[in-house]
Amino acid sequence: MEQYQALIDHLDKSLQGEGSPEMEQMLVNDPEIAREWNYLLLAVDAIQEAGLEEQVATIKNDWKAQQAAAVKPTGGIVRRISRNMAKIAAILVLVAGGAAFYKYATISSGSLYDKYYSSYELNTSRGAAEEGAIEKAYHAKDWKAVLAGVNTAKRDNKMDFLAGMADLELKKYNDAIEHFEQVIAVNAQSGSDYFQDEAQYYLAISWLAKDKVNEALPILEKIRANKDHLFHDKVAKMSFFDLRLVQYKESK
Amino acid sequence: MKVAGKYSDVELLAAIREEQDLNKAILYLYQQYAVPTSSFIIQYGGSEQDADDVFQETVISFIDVVKKGRYRMEASIKTFLVSVARNIWFNELKKRERSGYREKLFEHGRDQQEADISFQISDLEKRRQLRELVHQLGEPCKKILMLYYYENLSMKEIVDHLPYENEQVVRNKKYKCLQSLTGLIKGNPVIARQISEITK
Repeated sequence: MEQYQALIDHLDKSLQGEGSPEMEQMLVNDPEIAREWNYLLLAVDAIQEAGLEEQVATIKNDWKAQQAAAVKPTGGIVRRISRNMAKIAAILVLVAGGAAFYKYATISSGSLYDKYYSSYELNTSRGAAEEGAIEKAYHAKDWKAVLAGVNTAKRDNKMDFLAGMADLELKKYNDAIEHFEQVIAVNAQSGSDYFQDEAQYYLAISWLAKDKVNEALPILEKIRANKDHLFHDKVAKMSFFDLRLVQYKESK
Repeated sequence: MKVAGKYSDVELLAAIREEQDLNKAILYLYQQYAVPTSSFIIQYGGSEQDADDVFQETVISFIDVVKKGRYRMEASIKTFLVSVARNIWFNELKKRERSGYREKLFEHGRDQQEADISFQISDLEKRRQLRELVHQLGEPCKKILMLYYYENLSMKEIVDHLPYENEQVVRNKKYKCLQSLTGLIKGNPVIARQISEITK
């Protein structure tokens, strides 16, 4: 009983990062205590699983209630409008509808990619000899040489970014996305922002190229909201109406 | 409809891993991925309720994998979720012995981009059984253990939440509840066998 209580105390303290070294030693030396310990860890796992299940179920129910409310007819007041007003409205609707239909029929993530893609201008020439060679290949638009160079170079954010750009130019969108996400993931882990803005922008552009506006839009919105972002001005000029229209169209 | 904050895959993973407003992240998962995943389950012979259950299980598995640092960004979150849902449904069909749909589902999987979810599937059934054991504990025990081990509340905070006189009473109760739960786990043959193998 006392030993069990001591194990529970050790468990609670371990969860707060304060377990006792003596007890750790006992766990190594005594298989019976180790066995009880494993059961306790499993019990905590079980509780956390059940807690997560309840949390997810609660959110699911909220989401379902929101969905039900969104489709419920709200009723309303039927307004009387004059016959002439109705005619004018009908004509306006037809004209606007025609224009909207044309836009709707022709717009896509791919068309937005064509509209907004522009090559990245590399204007640095610092670094080691191999970096110089990669930069040279980049300036010469020799994308395969860029990729070959990156493969043998020491991996860092700049290398990943340039590889991503080379992939993008070669229309290897999945590979490009992988490189840009790698830059973002490395920065997220290290807390740095080396090539972060560039990777974010071209990641969004790559998603557009892949007809995945749902992935691109949140990134572009984030850039638009950040005035210090390197690509803020460029993104601010984009038509978010068009982006949302594509989002709607592609969700159908 | 209330819209959850928008996330890129990287941001969503960070929000889950660091538990920054987990509710919002879960809502986002539902808003973005519940409908396509559910349509898929219904297409392969599931009812709406099946689709609902499978997606809930998928979300739980996904969060579990991310929190434990086992999610590798080899595929997009959507691909991962669909792969998990597909496997959960595949196993469910197996249980229900509906081989026709199972074969179709298998064929479908061959054409799709697949995430590596082997580690996730291997302990899916065990995790389900563990949750079931917690539900068998009864409400007071479940509540106290969840407040302490899931909500991370202190004994003092639990006293404020539950009708117990003081921290010592809560501590004693928690001890007994944990003992009951480990008792239930020991009594579960599948789980007990796994523990024996670990501690051999």
